[in-house]
Amino acid sequence: MKILKYLFPAILTAMAIFSAKAGDSISVIRPVMSAYTVEAGSSHLTDTYLTPLKYTGWHAALDYERYQAMRFDPERWVMRLHGNLGIDRAANPSRNATMWSLMLSADWGMMRKFRPVDNLTLAAGGSTGIDLGCLYNSRNGNNPASAKAAWTVNLTGYAAYKLRIGRLPVTLMYQPTLPVTGVFFSPDYGELYYEIYLGDHGGLVHGAWWGNYFSLDNRVTADLHLGATSLRVGYHGKVFSSKVNDITTNIFTHSFVIGVSCEWMSLNPRRPASRDARIINAIY
Amino acid sequence: MKKLFPYILMCMAAVLTTACHEVKEHADNPRGNFEALWAALDEHYCFFEEKGIDWNAVRAKYLPRVSDEMSDEELFIVCSDMLDELRDGHTNLSTPFATSYYRKWWSDYPQNYSARLVEQSYFNFNYRSTCGMDYGFLSENIGYIHYSSFSYTVGEGNLDNVLYYLRTAQALIFDVRDNGGGDMTNVETIVARFISRPTIVGYISHKTGPGHNDFSEPRPYTYNPAGQGRVRWGKPVVVLTNRSTFSAANNFVSVMKLLPGVTVVGATTGGGSGMPFSSELPNGWGVRFSACSVLDADGNTTEQGVDPSAGCAVDMDSQAALDGHDTIIDFAVDLIQSGSLAATFDR
Repeated sequence: MKILKYLFPAILTAMAIFSAKAGDSISVIRPVMSAYTVEAGSSHLTDTYLTPLKYTGWHAALDYERYQAMRFDPERWVMRLHGNLGIDRAANPSRNATMWSLMLSADWGMMRKFRPVDNLTLAAGGSTGIDLGCLYNSRNGNNPASAKAAWTVNLTGYAAYKLRIGRLPVTLMYQPTLPVTGVFFSPDYGELYYEIYLGDHGGLVHGAWWGNYFSLDNRVTADLHLGATSLRVGYHGKVFSSKVNDITTNIFTHSFVIGVSCEWMSLNPRRPASRDARIINAIY
Repeated sequence: MKKLFPYILMCMAAVLTTACHEVKEHADNPRGNFEALWAALDEHYCFFEEKGIDWNAVRAKYLPRVSDEMSDEELFIVCSDMLDELRDGHTNLSTPFATSYYRKWWSDYPQNYSARLVEQSYFNFNYRSTCGMDYGFLSENIGYIHYSSFSYTVGEGNLDNVLYYLRTAQALIFDVRDNGGGDMTNVETIVARFISRPTIVGYISHKTGPGHNDFSEPRPYTYNPAGQGRVRWGKPVVVLTNRSTFSAANNFVSVMKLLPGVTVVGATTGGGSGMPFSSELPNGWGVRFSACSVLDADGNTTEQGVDPSAGCAVDMDSQAALDGHDTIIDFAVDLIQSGSLAATFDR
């Protein structure tokens, strides 16, 4: 009973504080800029665990990205959440063998924005992300697949430029992401995945640096602001090259991007925005 | 900042130009394909030292036979002859018109098995079959299983049914003659029925680099007994072998031979203890080769085969076969009837 004696006043006090906060109005609104795109293009795959030959073929992917100004300093800092699910199908030079690639990547980062000139916003910062996937060569027996897994810390940023084509507002964006360090998975030179299945888990994780793990993701897009929803078109190129345990993997993709982007706000009816609330665009 | 900009650009250019790792390419012509084949083996094959093969000398021997004017058929013959130097049943060159095989690992030996003889003379064609296993009772109340290939996936339920059906037998003959191998996981599934505790069944050593002596320390691997509720076999077991017992079947014999209560009867197995990797040539031909050495539980190689247990080397008598006798089965039956075999484990 002694507990109840103190518990009830504590709950009432907490509710009072919460009610007071709920009654506060929001002075800064941070809309979310999100984009949903599909990619189609070409792929170049090489993985010497599977084959020494370069395979070429097509690449397709689904991509999602989301920008929002940070809560703590919304004018200058922005965060980005990004995910990409890609699939490649490529053939060897003789076109008598097929290699598939399935890769999922996701990253989250924060960037500091700069406005060097009107209409141009530059942002630079860092992100962290994971890449998971697999290359599969159907002609191989005991070495049919090469699994890929990495956690990386990246340099990232963007350049956004606003312009008009006639009366159509357009936003051009360039977004590079460059992993700097991290850890990634690789079996030993001639190690079977069967050995890993049997319990040999040593030496599978490697520290990443540019000498053994290089990846550069470049994305150039144009958002055509046709209305509340914008048409996004552009280019996405990714260069990935790793070499560890004398196993070299090269994955290069170039693809055309098309999709939609939009800005949206989530408003809390319990905390209405004040009349003079500032709307802080995520990108600019 | 302006002063730093050129340096930043130079750093980025240096990173971009050095970060992408090159992969050595060979030309798609007879010499290029020959060199690609030789290099694939040079960097990945695991038995050069064990077999005393000078791979550079092999290249020097066969390269003069290669010319850019030769046809694919001619190149195939040269490459096949070169691969035969490895004396390895796991090494094949696959082309659209032929696949090379080194056959001497079994062709130079008696076959020591006739499926028709067993099916007709011992079972009168009255036996059960499931998941690649033919099984039934021999007249002396001995259970018999012939497993034709480790490529047939063996389910736990299959094994429960087979072993339960044979449960009243005094012993089991497990015949892997003419079993050319398949999936190693089937070895584990079957062996798990003949052990009562976690057992080190062998060692694996893989290549750690392209050098001929770049190998990892042999690492033991362990099989666990079949789980609760599964039918396990604790009575004596005789494993029958011939020279065509190869690859995963060879591994199965090497594991079983070192278990208590198991006797291996027949001929030395065909070997093939290297787990094969695949690669390919610029012209699209595929190549398979031994790349990862699997040793037995005593740490010995079985690439040249597993010998029968002491005093149990038997060949099939072709004259007796005409009279309906498989002398290897008969030897195993006599061995079991003698009562000298121990149980695989106490139940």
